[in-house]
Amino acid sequence: MEQPSVPNAQPTTVEKLILFLDARVGLKEMQAKMLNEPIPGGSRWAYVFGSILLFIFAMQALTGILLMFYYVPTADHAYASTQYIIHDVDYGWFLLGYHFWGSSAMVVCVIAHMSQVFLWGAYKPPRELLWLVGLALFGIVIGFGFTGYLLPWDQRAYWATTVGVEMVDKVPVLGDFLARFLKGGPTPGQMTLSRFFVIHVMILPAALMALAGLHLFLFRVAAPAGPFSGTPEEIKAKTDYFFPRQIWKDMVGMAAVFATICGLAFWEPVVLLDEATPDPGEYHPEPEWYFLFYFQLLRLKIFSGEFGQLMGAVVVPVAFMLLLIALPFFDKDPERNIFKRPIALITWIFIMAMIAIFTVSSIINREFLD
Amino acid sequence: MQQPKLKSKVRCTDRDIGEVTKVVLDPLSHEISHIVVSMNGSGERQVGMGHVQAVMEDLVELRAPSSDIAALPPFRRDDYVTTHEVEISHLEDNLHVTPGEVLVPFPALEKDVKRRTFFMNFTHVIGFLIGLPMAYPILRFLMKPMYMPFDNEWLQVGNVSKIKQDDLGVQFQYKKKVKEAYMPESEVEKSVWVLKASSEVRDKVYQGKDQEFRDAFGKLIWTNKKDFPYIAFSGKCPHLGCAFKWRQHKTLGQVFLCPCHLSIYDASGKVLDGPAPRALDALPIRVSASGEVEVVDMEFKAGVKSQIRIV
Repeated sequence: MEQPSVPNAQPTTVEKLILFLDARVGLKEMQAKMLNEPIPGGSRWAYVFGSILLFIFAMQALTGILLMFYYVPTADHAYASTQYIIHDVDYGWFLLGYHFWGSSAMVVCVIAHMSQVFLWGAYKPPRELLWLVGLALFGIVIGFGFTGYLLPWDQRAYWATTVGVEMVDKVPVLGDFLARFLKGGPTPGQMTLSRFFVIHVMILPAALMALAGLHLFLFRVAAPAGPFSGTPEEIKAKTDYFFPRQIWKDMVGMAAVFATICGLAFWEPVVLLDEATPDPGEYHPEPEWYFLFYFQLLRLKIFSGEFGQLMGAVVVPVAFMLLLIALPFFDKDPERNIFKRPIALITWIFIMAMIAIFTVSSIINREFLD
Repeated sequence: MQQPKLKSKVRCTDRDIGEVTKVVLDPLSHEISHIVVSMNGSGERQVGMGHVQAVMEDLVELRAPSSDIAALPPFRRDDYVTTHEVEISHLEDNLHVTPGEVLVPFPALEKDVKRRTFFMNFTHVIGFLIGLPMAYPILRFLMKPMYMPFDNEWLQVGNVSKIKQDDLGVQFQYKKKVKEAYMPESEVEKSVWVLKASSEVRDKVYQGKDQEFRDAFGKLIWTNKKDFPYIAFSGKCPHLGCAFKWRQHKTLGQVFLCPCHLSIYDASGKVLDGPAPRALDALPIRVSASGEVEVVDMEFKAGVKSQIRIV
């Protein structure tokens, strides 16, 4: 037992306060439980993405709340108030730029996080619910992106929304209702802006916080999956706690992401296009870069005509999500080593390659349009 | 084998050496890996489960003599943490170290309560009765602006003197006044494509029949005569609602091209290439004696074969 340096010293005020709180809420036990989670096989750089996503969300919430001090969600002021943030408010360009690039970082890290879980076979029983809640969170992140870029009310915003909502319209039976419900009318306008604003700043953040909490809870209940190879003895020998090694790696990851977003906000500031109007002039509508591959996919001949559009706009994305939802229920093979799961590995490489190819081809396509 | 219990006596092959003071748990398998033995007060020893011969109700028998156990290194408490200080999931499912049940008294008032199920269901019914009258108003509240009557006003979009050549797409930009709900009246920029069509193009558009436009109640608004030379196309691409342009295509010549998903239409609006499901939408058009072009601004649902008017 360690002896206090000064015997019988009176506790300081801070120590008294901590003791007071600890006696009432069990702070020390709570802290110990949060930090002392055994990580089978030890900490790894591959595990940093979950913490990074939480960090990105916290920063999006902070910058988003700050932007709302000046932004006005009306068709006649949204554009002007966004321009005001960029050009007149001190550091407005930076906070808006951070929020803008933060959304891209969110999408990148969600894909990385899902890929890691997929490649590590960490979605397999008993972690099915963890995977399902993760998929719901993925949907929320996409929803954030889609509702977020309507808000500046520039040409990109207007046309991306027009096309996106037309795709919702392709849902059988309910499509027309859903599209009108989202738009708040037959065409995009003030009602659309109001609805997207409420969804973006109230509904999705609440849903994300609730589901992220559930995700963490389920993660703690199920315990980390650990590495996909190695004998139990090897894994046990390398096991350590969440604090300090994993937290250190997470912090380095967060700092790197923070620096990258700041750099992008600084060197690639947000530039608005012309104010939204149903006549695009010379502008060629294009979605955000992370939707480009899908945008390019819809240009394919196989998705032409009424049936093709149903396939492209509804069946393909819904089927893909359903496949991801069903994944832990049909893939019950306990083998988690990705190098012993050739179908999973090939599928992942195929999907990533398709996304890369279609993104690049849509960029190449730009030249032929001018 | 039973799990060793705290306070159980520990017996070696020759004699008793004390009692179980602690158990050590493997955090991954959730099995007890060691017991800690008191050695009758002369320093604790950590004994692996491999040494255990049998576990009884309050006795643990070891398969080694007491001298072997005493020769083990002393137990080092600082190498361990308690299960309260670390998160181990499903600990209770696997471990039964508590020597007996832990109880709290059951309140007297709770002992003879009948109709527990009734009260439970009653709670649900009250919740449902609160939710029910909210559901329909909320739905209607959100649906208020979704459906609007069509506006069949004629709008001036420009003068035909802008058109220099037959069968050439010319964009007419115009401003349309809109009054949306509580917003002040404002003008939005829109555009239509107008062309002076040759007889071949007209034949392709009208296929020998006049084109009739009706309002929501089926009343005739206007008829585009099949021999009228001017044709106006809605600026909205019938694929997914982007705005198309008039462009030079390297093999197809002068065409309408939508930059979004690359649908291509000829001068008559017929689909030449790309994903569009139907031809461009012709609008009601009339031209005054002085050449002023007027159209009725209509929009049709994109992505379907048939024309379904939405604006």
